[in-house]
Amino acid sequence: MQQQEIHKFLERYFHANGCEVVDKGPGYMTVQLTIELDKELMNRPFYWHYLEKTGGIPNPMQLTLITNQQLAPDQLKGEVIHFGSPRLHQIFESARNLAGYIRLYENHHHAPGQQTPLRPWLGMNVRISYQCDRKRDVFKSIGLQLINGQMVEDFHDKLLEMNLTPKIPDYSFTLSPLIMPKSGVSRVANFLKMGIEQEEHNWADEALIRWQKDLDLLEHFYEDAEEKGESYETEKTALKEQYEPKINISIINGGLFYLTDSAV
Amino acid sequence: MTVQIGIDSSWQDEFLKRIEDDGPWGNWELYKLAVEVENHTIIPEFEGLQAPNHLPNLTPLPHQLEVAKQVVESMNGKAILADEVGLGKTIEAGLILKEYMIRGLVKKVLILVPASLVSQWAIELNSKFFIPAVAQRKSYVWEQCDVVVSSIDTAKRNPHRDIIYSLDYDLIIIDEAHKLKNNKTKNYEFVQNLKKKFCLLLTATPIQNRISEIFNLVSLLKPGHLGTESAFYESYKKDSRSLNDDEHLKELVNKVMIRNRRADTGIEWTKRHVETIPIEFSQEERELYEAVTELRGEGDWVSSSQFSVMTLQREACSSREAVYFTLQNMLKRQEEPTKYFQDQIQYLVSKVEAVQQNSKAQKALELIQKINDKVIIFTEYRATQMYLQWFLKQYGITSVPFRGGFKRGKKDWMRELFQKNAQVLIATEAGGEGINLQFCNHIINFDLPWNPMRLEQRIGRIHRLGQEKDVMIYNFATKDTVEEHVLKLLYEKINLFEKVIGDLDDILTKLEFGNIDDHLVEIFGKSASEGEMRIKMENLTSMIQFAEDMKEGGLNAATGNT
Repeated sequence: MQQQEIHKFLERYFHANGCEVVDKGPGYMTVQLTIELDKELMNRPFYWHYLEKTGGIPNPMQLTLITNQQLAPDQLKGEVIHFGSPRLHQIFESARNLAGYIRLYENHHHAPGQQTPLRPWLGMNVRISYQCDRKRDVFKSIGLQLINGQMVEDFHDKLLEMNLTPKIPDYSFTLSPLIMPKSGVSRVANFLKMGIEQEEHNWADEALIRWQKDLDLLEHFYEDAEEKGESYETEKTALKEQYEPKINISIINGGLFYLTDSAV
Repeated sequence: MTVQIGIDSSWQDEFLKRIEDDGPWGNWELYKLAVEVENHTIIPEFEGLQAPNHLPNLTPLPHQLEVAKQVVESMNGKAILADEVGLGKTIEAGLILKEYMIRGLVKKVLILVPASLVSQWAIELNSKFFIPAVAQRKSYVWEQCDVVVSSIDTAKRNPHRDIIYSLDYDLIIIDEAHKLKNNKTKNYEFVQNLKKKFCLLLTATPIQNRISEIFNLVSLLKPGHLGTESAFYESYKKDSRSLNDDEHLKELVNKVMIRNRRADTGIEWTKRHVETIPIEFSQEERELYEAVTELRGEGDWVSSSQFSVMTLQREACSSREAVYFTLQNMLKRQEEPTKYFQDQIQYLVSKVEAVQQNSKAQKALELIQKINDKVIIFTEYRATQMYLQWFLKQYGITSVPFRGGFKRGKKDWMRELFQKNAQVLIATEAGGEGINLQFCNHIINFDLPWNPMRLEQRIGRIHRLGQEKDVMIYNFATKDTVEEHVLKLLYEKINLFEKVIGDLDDILTKLEFGNIDDHLVEIFGKSASEGEMRIKMENLTSMIQFAEDMKEGGLNAATGNT
């Protein structure tokens, strides 16, 4: 992520959370946090607890973030933000937390006087992690139409091209799902699992070989000992932890999307 | 094969609840941002290092990056990092730790380091790597914090020990791991029973004396890699001093150990300038030295071995205070000192009292005034240390003492005082290890240790990565004393000071004779005359040179074949 991208990202994050930018210039910004975001980011639960007990006037903090030290004024005091900085990762985390679930409607061009039906879709963005003593991730975005069961990939990209709104537009009505959301989620999960099962898993085979090798060494090391003892068991468990291949599907976010027939 | 696939169900539960409650629903902009974040933080490949992208303030050197990559990709996260002193093992360990943390493979980390380095590790991990490492000071820290730095001596004691054993660590880092060379010690046993997925052992000297040391280190990391204990000692001589004896063993060890040498790194090192400064005794100092030396002929009453005479001689070269201190101790040790013994001590004390000035201290003063910059003085004796501090103060020169026995906080404080307020740091031997003082580039060796490795450790405190100036080393040697012999006959002959440690440590481990200290005691303690001493020293140095030539010869032969 380039510094420029980070700057843009921060602007959008604070804007989306209703924070006012009180000062900004090339390479920096100062934002007035809302009460919610102060609680989210500033890590001062005692202050807020105290305030709520005493009924004082809340005074959320201002936050100055510097994304380019060369461009920002020399005297400016603030946090320098780069891709590895803990603050940015806290904000990343917060973006994930604050928007885990969503419901949106397509804001279509409706013909006057005519009612447009909107079909329910379940959209899920997931991360698939392949893990042994190493790890890699894959991002997938799946959409499932909850009436006919149609499944599409890269669903999120398709949504980005649409005009979406949190309120149902005029002259629109939603169709009731035939597939209940609960079974929709399991359909998506099964679809992902089936896909994964069809992949080649050389990485896992190799990890098993490495694991077995180390296990053999361990057995050999203790073969003379009559009582293998605790350290043997500890080491054996540790090898399992280290090498055992696992695949984990975690859901980043998702929700219900009501879209026109022609949308997908 | 089928791999177990897990899916987290918490999202689904919350999702259904929100449908039931008709909200609350997230903001579309934030929803999109979350996906963007995901695409930025996802790591699509098993290979490659992510850590450098996260560390804009750190420019790792090529050999450091290579080490990190190799440990993660080919060594499965279990390795002995054995670079020579000053090549940045801490940086390498930090890179590996960061990499695993970014990839989500490591969360719970235990870092065991010498007490004097605890704060420094915590500070470096925080400032250079943005890793929230905490120096252990309270016992709740073990459970509450994910990355904890502690000394092994604290960690192995209860209540800490029980808490640590109850935890599963993803990564354990042990600095100065050569201290675990003996598998019969409590420290070794403690580390062996830790629950660890990945493990890094850091040491500049993986083998100090015997090949058994490497067996113990490797067995900590990867039990069985070098076979069982009995089989190992059957194949390899327990007391063997070199890995090179056996190609197969060398190859095995290299699978779990990485060792970079200064010469391999291609880094331009600042130079070392070594100056030997001869010191002339004053008349009284000479008399004291001679009086002490004469004791050798009187083996009887100095029942506490030859070594005392040697010690006294060396102390006489350092300061009268050092001699006095030892004399007092000798007297105290005797339960019922004979009259003759008391008289002898009294006689020597009178010689001590006759000394009015310290020629070395005078010289040191001149030198410090001339340098007019920060200086570290190393001495082997606490009495000298205290004297020097008092002496320098008489001339308005500020100094701080430094000892191995200082508590961690005090060491940090002294280092800071030296950096900000004082011109001179006076360190005793034990204080040499575990403190980095790159901001200073002058060392005075007020007296010399006999083991060249210890001298290298002294120099290594300032001649390391981060040192921007050439390093000046001044060796004080009093004329016509044991000190001069050591310097002339041993150190200078093997060009020690210009050398970098890696070669030397190879040479020393290749030598098929015992501890170098023992040899020196033997030579200086048992020789009947100056001549004999000289000849024995010649023998020792030529053996060292022989070993060195062998090594070079071997290298030439190897390159000659290509």
